Amino acid sequence: MADPQSLQQILTRRSDLWRGRQRPRTRCTATGQAELDAWLPDGGWPHGRLIELLPTSLGCGELELLLPLLTEQTRQGLPVLLVAPPLVPCPQHLHHAGILLNHLVVIRSSDQALWAAEQSLKSGVCGSVLVWHPSGRVDARSIRRLQLASRASEAPTFLVYRPGQQPPPSLSALRLGLEPGPMLRLLRGDGPTRTLHLGRPNVIDLATRRQQITGDR
Amino acid sequence: MSQTGRGSLWAGLYCPDLPLRAVWDIQSGAGAIAVHDHRRGQARIFQACRIATHHGIRAGMTLSQALALLPQLQSRPRNPSMEQHALEQIALAAYDHSHQISLAPPDTVLLEIAGSQRLHGGLRPLLSGLTQTLGQQGFTIHCGIASVPAAARLLARKDQHATTPEQLKPMLDALPVDTLDLSARQHQSITGCGLHRLKDLVRMGAPERARRFGSALNIELDQLYGRQPTPLAAWHPPERYRQRLELPVASDRSDALLFAANRALDHLGNWLHARDRALSALHITLEREDAGNPIALGLSLAQPGFDRTRLLEMLALKLERIRLPAPIAALALKAETTLEHRPPQADLWDGHNRGDAWPALLDRLRARLGDSGLSSIATHADQRPELSWRWVPPGTTQPCLETRPRPTWLLPDPRPCQRHEFHLEDGPERIEAGWWDGQNCRRDYWIARDRKGRQVWVFQEYEPRSGWFLHGLFEGA
Repeated sequence: MADPQSLQQILTRRSDLWRGRQRPRTRCTATGQAELDAWLPDGGWPHGRLIELLPTSLGCGELELLLPLLTEQTRQGLPVLLVAPPLVPCPQHLHHAGILLNHLVVIRSSDQALWAAEQSLKSGVCGSVLVWHPSGRVDARSIRRLQLASRASEAPTFLVYRPGQQPPPSLSALRLGLEPGPMLRLLRGDGPTRTLHLGRPNVIDLATRRQQITGDR
Repeated sequence: MSQTGRGSLWAGLYCPDLPLRAVWDIQSGAGAIAVHDHRRGQARIFQACRIATHHGIRAGMTLSQALALLPQLQSRPRNPSMEQHALEQIALAAYDHSHQISLAPPDTVLLEIAGSQRLHGGLRPLLSGLTQTLGQQGFTIHCGIASVPAAARLLARKDQHATTPEQLKPMLDALPVDTLDLSARQHQSITGCGLHRLKDLVRMGAPERARRFGSALNIELDQLYGRQPTPLAAWHPPERYRQRLELPVASDRSDALLFAANRALDHLGNWLHARDRALSALHITLEREDAGNPIALGLSLAQPGFDRTRLLEMLALKLERIRLPAPIAALALKAETTLEHRPPQADLWDGHNRGDAWPALLDRLRARLGDSGLSSIATHADQRPELSWRWVPPGTTQPCLETRPRPTWLLPDPRPCQRHEFHLEDGPERIEAGWWDGQNCRRDYWIARDRKGRQVWVFQEYEPRSGWFLHGLFEGA
């Protein structure tokens, strides 16, 4: 007779086993914001899975949301990849957020974006990889490939769709909608659809701003 | 050079099919091949491969005879410089088996092995290691051992080993006279005297020999039997690496090119090892069959080193990107190297070589995306926001002096917009700069909110244009 304890252990070890509501907790990294950690199904950004972000318009907060994570990773010396961002990430801003710019690599050409992301994930040396999906039609197969590649990664992988793009039906672990605010909407993941208004972490307080300006003069 | 000293032992590496191997460097694996040279105004077969020999092709046949016998025979003229090059490749591959190497053209390499046999665990492991290495690179090698370099060269033709001087003499005595490099006239006069083995020659007195066959033969015999030292020039690998490889058949298929490149990397690897250098960049020129403009490919490595699978992979990615306008006839390789040699290091605990994987990834991405395809982003000390950032090679760092708030995203170029599209929230920040380099500008930057509720960075310009422009996006608020 097998020890029931060992059976439990075997089940826990298999993260890909569907066990109804009783899902094993996947390994994840803290988002850097306690509020967000508590709200996310896994208590942080899950590893080895593709996290899909669907902003309603460009610049809804997709990069800002991840800055604490990226900061932490660059400080650990892990290279972070931004693959085909639609605009230029402002280095001064990233620097002030605490990111070490020499650990940040930007893939500039968008036609090879998914290939480059896949290679980076497979290499297993990168920290987070952030991919902006090239504009145009979404190819379900390439998303699937990216998903498989993200399993090799020891860090969360993000795929940001362009406004209006529909992600293909997939096994994505986590899909978040983003609206200006920033407001997060859990579109896919464990639990019912829910929303979260993040605080205004990046708004510049008018009073401090005025002080800065008068200080400059 | 103490070559006949009691302790020294020489190995002769003899490559019997060197002329064939030199011009047919890349074995096509298909069909009968041969080399011919020109004697008395006629092209005659010099050497033929096994398949050709099987079909009756013999050395000395005229080319037309051979072609009549075997129409599909492919023959190329002998090329002494390529033979020399092939000989150097053998020397290079053998370089770490000996401290003293010299070339004995046309087809033998001599190396001193007494000093290194203990290092390699004895004579037998050393020789088997050597023939194996050379065999992998496509050379058939016969090995001769003797305490005298000239004798080692001769014994190599017969694959005979004489590890002590006592063994050497009877072995030399038994050699037929035609193993010596004799002119046809000398050969005729020696055999005409009824002398068939070296011992017959040696038995004859030296003055008599000189009178009959010329004094050069005496010197040769003295060197063979170790009574006189053999003059040898030590060989060293060249300072710079350059190589040219001709493809057996001009091709525009990338797998054929990769096969040739793979062979070339063998030699490059040997050269780097012998010179103890690390590869930092490899320039490959593809020479077109139609003599059009050659195609240059550059592979630069993020970290100096030599990893042939990675190099081949990078080359494959490069070849994927280009379309070959014409079949390629030859490859020319040029290596850029550095003395900075860092052997690969693996993590003590998990055995992963992280230090190496990151440069490898950068190389792979760069091979497909091009040098401008991936960058880091750095700050640049300039008041004008559009000039305050730069694309830099990955890993570059610059100090940041900016303390004023900057948006998360910048538009690569400011985009004209209308004032009424925004609700101004904060500002202005006056920027007036560029009078020193002719790109003078005067603007007021504002933090504003657009109709979608996003915070944006806009400016009103007074000089050189006038109007409102959108320059960035703040996220998060």
